[in-house]
Amino acid sequence: MTFRLTCPVCGKRDVYEFTFGGQERGPRPAQEGLSAEEHFRWVQFRLIPGGCETREEGASRADVREPLQEEWWYHGQGCGVWFTTTRDPMTNREVEGGGGG
Amino acid sequence: MALASAAVNWLKLRRLWRPSPLKRRYDTVIIGGGVHGLATAYYLARNHGIRDVAVLESHYIGFGGSGRNTAIVRANQRTAENVRLYDEGLKLWRVLTDELDFNLMFFNCGSLLLGHSEASTGAFRMAASTHNFMGVHSELLDPQQCAEVIPGLDISDRPRFPIQAGLYHPPGGIVRHDAVVWGLAKGAAARGVHIHQGCDVRGIKTDAGRVTGVRTSLGDIGCNRLGIMAGGYSTAIAAILGIELPIHPLTIQAMVTHPLKPFLHHVFSSTAYHVYANQTLKGEIATGAHMDPQVNYTTDATAYYLKHQAEALVELMPALRGVRFMRIWAGLADMTPDMAPIMEGNLGWDGLYLDAGWGYFGFKSGPVAGKYMAEYMATGERPEMLKAFQLKRFLENRYSGETPAVMKYGHWD
Repeated sequence: MTFRLTCPVCGKRDVYEFTFGGQERGPRPAQEGLSAEEHFRWVQFRLIPGGCETREEGASRADVREPLQEEWWYHGQGCGVWFTTTRDPMTNREVEGGGGG
Repeated sequence: MALASAAVNWLKLRRLWRPSPLKRRYDTVIIGGGVHGLATAYYLARNHGIRDVAVLESHYIGFGGSGRNTAIVRANQRTAENVRLYDEGLKLWRVLTDELDFNLMFFNCGSLLLGHSEASTGAFRMAASTHNFMGVHSELLDPQQCAEVIPGLDISDRPRFPIQAGLYHPPGGIVRHDAVVWGLAKGAAARGVHIHQGCDVRGIKTDAGRVTGVRTSLGDIGCNRLGIMAGGYSTAIAAILGIELPIHPLTIQAMVTHPLKPFLHHVFSSTAYHVYANQTLKGEIATGAHMDPQVNYTTDATAYYLKHQAEALVELMPALRGVRFMRIWAGLADMTPDMAPIMEGNLGWDGLYLDAGWGYFGFKSGPVAGKYMAEYMATGERPEMLKAFQLKRFLENRYSGETPAVMKYGHWD
């Protein structure tokens, strides 16, 4: 099933009008003192929870991300805006009210 | 009455393997009852005498990628390290058919990869050189030769992306994917491996830097060694332990047409049209290759790609116009940035093993990956064959050069 994303300019549109821009990773780490390893980790490594329970020892629930993912999209076949929205990888749907960021 | 009991006995005899009682502790637990997990269990028991093994499968064996791929097998990868692994994997189908005493229906029809640009022709030339250097049969064809191999191809200038070259790989073919799952389950169970279906992993237990067990929907199970071999769901399992991976689980779609008389005697695929297709032994054209670019754990199929696939197929092979698609489905592909897998041991915790990131090469590599992962888990020493597939290559900017072997799968790269 296809689904719709909320473009901040155009409203709800078919997902195939958009280009996926990846998980929101926070600001790029400061270049000063950045090791190559830290840089590659920031570029490529991700946690993509699948709704499994958390491990009990050594990690509190707060340490573990919820499956919901904040991510970038580009409305290439529409107004051309880049924006962030929240989607649930378990259902492959935008979270209600998640768009338009 | 006698007839009925004879029928019951016959059915009993036909069972390939039987459910086992769930023990509270195993030496080795493997998460994922697909080709990789079952092959690892099989080789642990067969080659290393480790029989106290449980394979945990959250649905039924072969539910995931193992039963959703297009069943194509080949060894024409791009880099020498990968060609070596896949070549051994390709040679295993015949061996396993014999060893498991189960017909895996290996149809050695050969595959033809089509190129539609000067760049892909150059890439094919390099790939063929690598294959030949590694002793794998592969040759570069011109469009006329492509049409001799597959007469239905349109080699004229009419298509939007005319065919410019072909990479012909005779050792490739198709294997019945369900048979591989069943055959490996049969072979593993016969050697004492317990296969537990409907057993959903919900937690991983660790103690003092070691993996000690898993929490499942059927209760806690202790173990000394744990293998994460859950295909596209491996990132979700790794996330339980907070392990970040350079893997995107993406939905990939495939479909079959209604059955046709045999006319397509090779697997063919195309770089520019993002298609691979083959005619199954039942006569259907099985085709796929499309990936939705956003990370997700669903197996949603879309009308968008159904249409796209039809357009692409008809461009390449005009005789298919008017043929109807009968079924569409989707599976997960766990994509790494360099299209090569990640096979790791003692990953953060002693006894934790990971075999993931196979993208859409997971089926063809299943048995050979299982063989080497079993060796890794049994000895604790990384086999020479797996040196190229360490996770740390992504932190050292030493990516495998596998990307040119396949199509672009996302938009962010």
